[in-house]
Amino acid sequence: MIEVRNLTKKYGDRTAINNLTFSVGKGEILGFLGQNGAGKTTTMKILTGFMPATSGTAAIGGFDVFENPLEVKKKIGYLPENPPIYPELLVFEYLSFVADLRGISKSEKSSKIDRVIERCNLGDVRRRLIGNLSKGYRQRVGLAQALIHDPEVLILDEPTVGLDPKQVNEARGLIKSLRSEKTVIYSTHILSEVSATCDRIIVIDKGNIVAQEAINPMGAAGGLVKTEIVVRKISEGLKSKLSSVEGVKEVHISSNGTQRLIVETEAREEVMAEVSRVVVESDSGLIRMSPVQQALEEYYLSLITGKRGVSI
Amino acid sequence: MRGAVAILKKELRSYFYSPVAYVILGVFLFIMGVIFAKFVDIYQRFNSAQRFSGSQGITLDKLATYLYQNMAFILCFVTPFLTMKLYAEEKRQQTFELLFTAPLKKFELVLGKFFAAYSLMLFMVAVSFIYVFFMILWGNPELPIIGSTYLGLLLALACYVSLGGLISAMTSNQAIAAVWTFIVLLLLWLLQSLGQGITAQTGFIEWGPLLVYLSPLGHFNSFSEGLIHVKDLIYFISFTFITLYFTYCVVESNRWR
Repeated sequence: MIEVRNLTKKYGDRTAINNLTFSVGKGEILGFLGQNGAGKTTTMKILTGFMPATSGTAAIGGFDVFENPLEVKKKIGYLPENPPIYPELLVFEYLSFVADLRGISKSEKSSKIDRVIERCNLGDVRRRLIGNLSKGYRQRVGLAQALIHDPEVLILDEPTVGLDPKQVNEARGLIKSLRSEKTVIYSTHILSEVSATCDRIIVIDKGNIVAQEAINPMGAAGGLVKTEIVVRKISEGLKSKLSSVEGVKEVHISSNGTQRLIVETEAREEVMAEVSRVVVESDSGLIRMSPVQQALEEYYLSLITGKRGVSI
Repeated sequence: MRGAVAILKKELRSYFYSPVAYVILGVFLFIMGVIFAKFVDIYQRFNSAQRFSGSQGITLDKLATYLYQNMAFILCFVTPFLTMKLYAEEKRQQTFELLFTAPLKKFELVLGKFFAAYSLMLFMVAVSFIYVFFMILWGNPELPIIGSTYLGLLLALACYVSLGGLISAMTSNQAIAAVWTFIVLLLLWLLQSLGQGITAQTGFIEWGPLLVYLSPLGHFNSFSEGLIHVKDLIYFISFTFITLYFTYCVVESNRWR
């Protein structure tokens, strides 16, 4: 659906994005991850035809962004970082303006407006002045604007910034509900968001793609999982017994308290079952066994700092 | 053209949702009212003076010419307030991202915005028809002259509005846009006197007629005296088209920065 080849954008001497190549399949949700200033917004602005690239090509739905901008723009819904709203208009007037801009016919207009108002939960503020709305509502009005013409491709630039936790959840739910129906590119610097919504991530740093893969945090660490085991008292030989279990790679006793063990094992259920049996039978008084949430955050940091993150 | 109509509707809506349109309209009509009252006063005095001495001092048509020349000048002050936000506000609010990522052609944007401000100005001028009504009621004005005057106003306003739009497209600050529009309009008016002031002693004698031609004042004056010259038509129309084209270029160039 989206094909990007060797895309480069320079602002004067500064290279904002450098030789990006990636593609996004139909119905896929792609997370675009990177620090502030990494080039996420620039890439999106080029894809939407807002801004031309210095070199390289980008195509959406088979149409080149530079040669066929109008065709491309018909297929795209775009929510910029700051929702492009007019504070002096009422919500439904604004949506009606966008519908006109998008060339939606008179007969379809009111049903389409009603649909996005419902979808983005804007029913309560339909007749309110946009300028008086809270940040969360403005963001939703922005999203409604991007969805009104039922585009095949949605490009969302940090759609959850400034929302409260409940709204973040709703926004994520909305984006997830678009899965398989629309192709979504979604930029963020919040990691939990990516794992919660996306099928695949592209990590971009200083204008370069540093990683491009499917969401599988376990895979990132090489098929190993870490489990934290808390016991009342670590009995003699527990460490060596655990180490001898097949599939266990490493056992260490946590440094900040003798009652904690970190076991690194292969990600297989049999291994976990065996580990728990050994702990219980060793009479150490098992209190808790829990997987260590690691992966994405650590992985991401390791990518942009250029070295593997330290474990725990 | 559908996009241009959408822009036009939105702009008009914004004008009437903010107090700007009402305030400007009110101020303009107040000033024009004061001038018209003065006009009536002068006319009356000359009328009575004429009765005693039979002097041919002033005619209704001559007074009407002054009235409309004043109006054309006052509209220079009014225009910046209506054109300042056209593009500057879109830039500040970052709503260009919406307009440029929608399937909207740039010239539709420029035309939509131009006609929004232009139609509002025309509405303001249309209110002044009431003066024509009074003139017909109590005098005997030369209606064709008034017609050509209104044609002149129509054309001059198109220049003002397109110029204001161009300047608004160059900045993201409404106040700066307003001030510059006002300065440039005023300079254009003054070019007339400047051009006429150039004599053999000051040098650059060949520049004189050019400056006079560039000023809208002389062109408008011939309309207000009932003369419709092709050169004046060409001046106003080409002025408007060229500024609209420049506006288009400036809007387009914003993307490249």
